[in-house]
Amino acid sequence: MQAMIFEGPYRVSVGNKPDPVILHPNDAIVRVTRSAICGSDLHLLHGFITDTRVGCTFGHEFAGVVEEVGTSVRTLKPGDRVVVPFNISCGTCFYCQRGLTACCENTNPNSEMASGVYGYSHTTGGYEGGQAQYVRVPFADVGPMKIPDDMDEEEVLFLSDILPTGYQGAEMGNIQPGDTVVVFGAGPVGLFAMKSAWLLGAGRVIAVDSLEYRLDFARKYAQVETLNFKDEENIVATLKELTRGRGPDVCIDAVGLEAEGSAMHSILGVKLKLEAGSPTAINWAIQSARKGGTVSIIGVYGPPWNMVAIGTAMNKGLTLRMGQCNVKRYMPHLLEHIRAGRIDARGIITHRFPLAELPRAYELFEKKRDGCIKCVLLPHGHA
Amino acid sequence: MAAEHEQDMTTAEQVHADIPGWGVDGDPENRPGVPMLLKPEPRGGAHWHRPERQPPPDFPVFKRAELDELTPAFGTAAPPKGLSGVLRRVAYAIPENRVRHVMLLLMADRVDVLESRLLGSPAKTLGTVLSLVGGSWLLGRLRT
Repeated sequence: MQAMIFEGPYRVSVGNKPDPVILHPNDAIVRVTRSAICGSDLHLLHGFITDTRVGCTFGHEFAGVVEEVGTSVRTLKPGDRVVVPFNISCGTCFYCQRGLTACCENTNPNSEMASGVYGYSHTTGGYEGGQAQYVRVPFADVGPMKIPDDMDEEEVLFLSDILPTGYQGAEMGNIQPGDTVVVFGAGPVGLFAMKSAWLLGAGRVIAVDSLEYRLDFARKYAQVETLNFKDEENIVATLKELTRGRGPDVCIDAVGLEAEGSAMHSILGVKLKLEAGSPTAINWAIQSARKGGTVSIIGVYGPPWNMVAIGTAMNKGLTLRMGQCNVKRYMPHLLEHIRAGRIDARGIITHRFPLAELPRAYELFEKKRDGCIKCVLLPHGHA
Repeated sequence: MAAEHEQDMTTAEQVHADIPGWGVDGDPENRPGVPMLLKPEPRGGAHWHRPERQPPPDFPVFKRAELDELTPAFGTAAPPKGLSGVLRRVAYAIPENRVRHVMLLLMADRVDVLESRLLGSPAKTLGTVLSLVGGSWLLGRLRT
């Protein structure tokens, strides 16, 4: 089959790999019809995530058709169309039973930090990803959701990760009616966090980014106020001015470890990797949130540490919530929001590419060119 | 102050009226992630008490030092190889909370890239090595 191949930091290609096979009785093989490039794939591409081996395939946002199932699979059969959560979960461990499927302890032998994740290094279990024509899906009875007959893959593709992640980010903010919510990062996850903040009853939603085209998209897509931090002398002071001097009730970090905005952290964390990326977005969130407010972190960070303003958070009495998304838990709820027209998930797709053009798609997404918000790959053409 | 507040509310209401579904999930009872910990029960279509174990492959699969055995399912994307594989083996013998575990894995990643490039195109690599040796020899001759 054709698949994305990681060749080392900043280098990807498309090449031939053996077709995946059933390795566990509850595996399924899925023919991938749509696969997206996620902002967190760029962290892998840029060498921030440990144990990212040359030759592996990325891709944790995908949908497709079941091609083959293992002997113990009961809920799926060949021909079923499915969208697959990025977390691989067993359904019965201590964490899965309590709804924390992102913390499954039966799918990742390499790290305690997370469950298994498709195409996200051996630190999350060493699974091949969905930026390929076929992919192995472990615990097929637990994760995949059948796509309703009246919906197409692109309508539900983002239920695999970024829509539930954005929603969980807003939900962890414990938004109360009328709250002012600031979302740092106007990328795909940030956009869904903004939409979700409205659904949860936010009074006011403000997006912060440095890319004017993304802020423009956010204004139109999510009807939010926007601030370009590069136009502000001090973004924290500006946010306080906009909120009667106190600060926003809820701040959401939808940026992660490659945040701009601080020369020191960009050099130490991004260039020299002396800390695990740049914590600038977290620090801005902590510094700008009102006392007793909530900071929700859905941007991705890795080990071993970051210089986070924890003393400020402690003294201000902030609530810090964070975590990888427990996707499975959110899928039915968010499917209804899509059906009801409250969230046009497909509306953020700006580019589609055949798999053969994957390097170009990565370059466009990475360099933020051509108004790119979200790239979707079609591994089997328009099938 | 009251007038200012009233004006804000009017503006906010106008904004909210244009947003599809504004506030439909306002009640915490209707939020899928609340409470954070659910009553324990099998999720999805899991029909086992303990999942079956994936048979081990015929190449090494590393696990963190704290585990006695591999998890019931695991990935086999890129088997360890060469010097990078040795470094990874050493890293996984060190508990995950130690910084040297992380640093060794990062080092292994960089070595992996070098190994792949050297082994990926041996002719090119040989050419580069010969050029370097030849260049050094020529530079030495010119200096004398």
